[in-house]
Amino acid sequence: MLKFIKPRRAGMMSRGKSQSRDERPTNKPDQTVTSGGSSKKQVLTPDLETNLREIKSILNNCSDVVYREFVFAQNEQLKLALIYTDGLVDNAQVSDQIMRALALEVPMSVPGQQITKARALEFIRERGLCIHQINESAQLEDIIRSILSGDTVLLVDGHATAIINKARGWEMRSITEPEAETTVRGPREAFVESLRVNTALIRRKIKSPNLKVEALRLGEVTDTDIAIIYIKGIVNEKLVAEVKSRLERIEIDGILESGYIEELIEDSPWSFFPTINHSERPDRVAAMLLEGRVAILVDGTPFVLSVPTLFVEFLQATEDYYHRFLFSSAIRLLRFLAMIITLTLPGLYIAVLAFHHELLPTALLLSIAAQHESVPYPVIIEVLLMEVTFEILREAGIRLPRPIGQAVSIVGALVIGEAAVRAGLVAAATVIVVAGTGIASFVIAYNLSASLRLLRFLIMFLSAFLGLFGLISGLAVIGIHLCTLRSFGVPYLSPLVPITGVNLTDTLIRAPWWAMFYRPRLIARQNQKRLAQGLKPSPPPSRRKG
Amino acid sequence: MLEHGKIDSKQAILLMISMILPTAILIVPAITLKYAKQDAWLSLILATLVGLLIAWLVVSLSLRFPGKTIIEYTEEILGRVLGKIVGFLYIYTFMRIGSGVCREFGFFLVTAMMPETPMIVFIIIAIVISAYAVRNGLEVLCRFNQLFIPVTGLLVIAFLLSTTNMKLTRLLPVFDTGLLSIAQGAVSPIAWLGEILTLAMIIPYLTKPKEAYRVAVISVLLSGFILMINTMESLLIFGPDLANHWLYPTYNAVRVVSIANFLERLDAVILMVWILGGFIKIGVFYYAFVLGSAQWMGLKDYRPLVLPAGLIMGASSYFLFGINIVEYYSHLPYHLILPEVVIPLLLLIVALAKGKGKKSEDEAT
Repeated sequence: MLKFIKPRRAGMMSRGKSQSRDERPTNKPDQTVTSGGSSKKQVLTPDLETNLREIKSILNNCSDVVYREFVFAQNEQLKLALIYTDGLVDNAQVSDQIMRALALEVPMSVPGQQITKARALEFIRERGLCIHQINESAQLEDIIRSILSGDTVLLVDGHATAIINKARGWEMRSITEPEAETTVRGPREAFVESLRVNTALIRRKIKSPNLKVEALRLGEVTDTDIAIIYIKGIVNEKLVAEVKSRLERIEIDGILESGYIEELIEDSPWSFFPTINHSERPDRVAAMLLEGRVAILVDGTPFVLSVPTLFVEFLQATEDYYHRFLFSSAIRLLRFLAMIITLTLPGLYIAVLAFHHELLPTALLLSIAAQHESVPYPVIIEVLLMEVTFEILREAGIRLPRPIGQAVSIVGALVIGEAAVRAGLVAAATVIVVAGTGIASFVIAYNLSASLRLLRFLIMFLSAFLGLFGLISGLAVIGIHLCTLRSFGVPYLSPLVPITGVNLTDTLIRAPWWAMFYRPRLIARQNQKRLAQGLKPSPPPSRRKG
Repeated sequence: MLEHGKIDSKQAILLMISMILPTAILIVPAITLKYAKQDAWLSLILATLVGLLIAWLVVSLSLRFPGKTIIEYTEEILGRVLGKIVGFLYIYTFMRIGSGVCREFGFFLVTAMMPETPMIVFIIIAIVISAYAVRNGLEVLCRFNQLFIPVTGLLVIAFLLSTTNMKLTRLLPVFDTGLLSIAQGAVSPIAWLGEILTLAMIIPYLTKPKEAYRVAVISVLLSGFILMINTMESLLIFGPDLANHWLYPTYNAVRVVSIANFLERLDAVILMVWILGGFIKIGVFYYAFVLGSAQWMGLKDYRPLVLPAGLIMGASSYFLFGINIVEYYSHLPYHLILPEVVIPLLLLIVALAKGKGKKSEDEAT
């Protein structure tokens, strides 16, 4: 009967089974726990008592749902009932604008005049309610969902239609500064957990009628609101269709974070690399939309997905576009360097110390050799020890409550920096390498650095076995893998590989705004131009002539 | 078609250059210098000219049969039985060059970098990595190549740094060694530049097959030019007498670079470029071998052949050539003349005589 309180079906999570479920006669998809009734959609009856009983039977043991029955001010005989979920509604609005208006106040124009039962619904809809947005529905399913989403449902005796008042209001985190993507320059607002606020944040940046916000609901139990946002005219229509079809394929009990969706729709589920990016910054998402991407917003999380995702995105920070381009380009190159360091530095260290001493200048080699004299382990063990310790400390720093986090960092600094070297467990050079790698990994976007941190261990092992050859082989495998990746049909490494000349302006460097004429060619296929030619500022003509 | 990917002309040029050069830059200078001494650069100019002829031959042959690789159109030209035999010869050639590269690859790494590691380790890893690229198709192979090209910038830097050691007088006296020596010196680079033959497997997958002439000519010219610069580097640094005694003069030329006691031991750079280039070179021949076999056997998909083909290549690289790599190098060019020059020429003549294939517009002009 009610789709969204359906029990989890066996085999629901497996793609093959769930796709063919509609054809199989044995599987009754619409059977529920609460009632084994017919699979037809239930509608309201004109009788208030029956309706209330029906709703109460569905929402039994839901102590947060409030039923308030009262009598209409215009007609003592007419009974009304309000149903809403406590905590999800704006109490002041419900009491003042709905209750007071209907139970006490008599509209000026019709003093003392009775409103008949038959006209009541129309009268209430037209003149009785002071709520900015109301809907009507006769479907029980809609009504239940509205109640649980925070709407206030008004039932009128004698009418088989309910009025759904949007008087939502719940305790919500206010818009704060972004925590994961901080900037020196740029807007200081981040998305919050409420979908509506998030769409508003984007709409405030892009006031175009072409900004489309399509709604979708996913999650059989949680019934989570999803919004697909794109700019019509810039976006590739096929991409939108693809995103929709991938989202509609999802059948899951609940979606609590956009990460669920990310894993369910990505192109290469086994890859180490993220092929879907996320952001908590409205300005970043707006920029993505302007480049022809599609954003997927999920109610309940401030992290917004954007597709397709390119590898270079992880080296681009929002701020790059706000600072002057020379500085931004330098920082981009620095990030690229940091990425390479994160991936290869420990491996290189191991390879050089274990196999290729000749690559080091003699003085440096001697000093490192002296440090290693007291260390009982081979270099790989030593580096592994430190890397794992470092990863543990990092994880501890993230999970612990803030005040204790500081203590961890002190202990960590002491353990890593001092004691391990003094005790002769590791060489000082190893500490430098591990610490340098760690810091470099903080420079790049978190989801890419997560994959690089994992791959770093692979590179370390290869280097320990085969020296530089192992290191380069590892890099080659990663390189080939990156070349095979696609995100929603767009090659992951583009515009670097395959090379798209006009888009190189926004990759490892960031060209000045007046030179970034085109949107990413493979993403925004039809509408590529984003900037007029000849915008480069120059002194006024009078000056130029001298 | 077996391969669904398409590559554009630029990618093809880069792939062809990466296919010719990685082994050539290491091995060709020593062989050419051995015969042509200080006139090695003349040998290379000669070799490039011959290379252009081979490129023209291969492309004009292939363009007569649009959408077909050399394995497929030999059957059309020569009939089923003879065509299969010639096709097999080409598959064998690709396999042989591929496994030869594996061998060179392993041999170089063992001698230059890790003398205690068994050669088979390097060969296996190189084949596994190339297999990964080959399995993912031509597009991925080309993209990986593009990804790798910027790394060769390091090689250019190493070359520029090594100019400090060069003496131009080592080129003198010019044309002293005689025409025969120069011709002898050209044989080996011709064999390498003649590897442009592999383009005959790739032309059907170009986005614009008509540009194949351009692709072949630019690839051969650039490869020949780089090879000449590279030979000159060894020549100018060491002189003809010293350089031809080493197997890898280029490697040594980079090793002797030392600037301000800081920029030295650049051999790691050449190692890196060489290893990555080796993967690509093996990958291209591996790909030609696998694709050719699949077409020869009339399979619908070449992927099942990747693993057995890798095994064959690995095994033959280990057993086929014996220990003496130098001997292999000196024989190699004469083995390659047949598939690179003679057969394509015969095929073209037969095709012209029988009137097979479409007449290309280029021929009329």
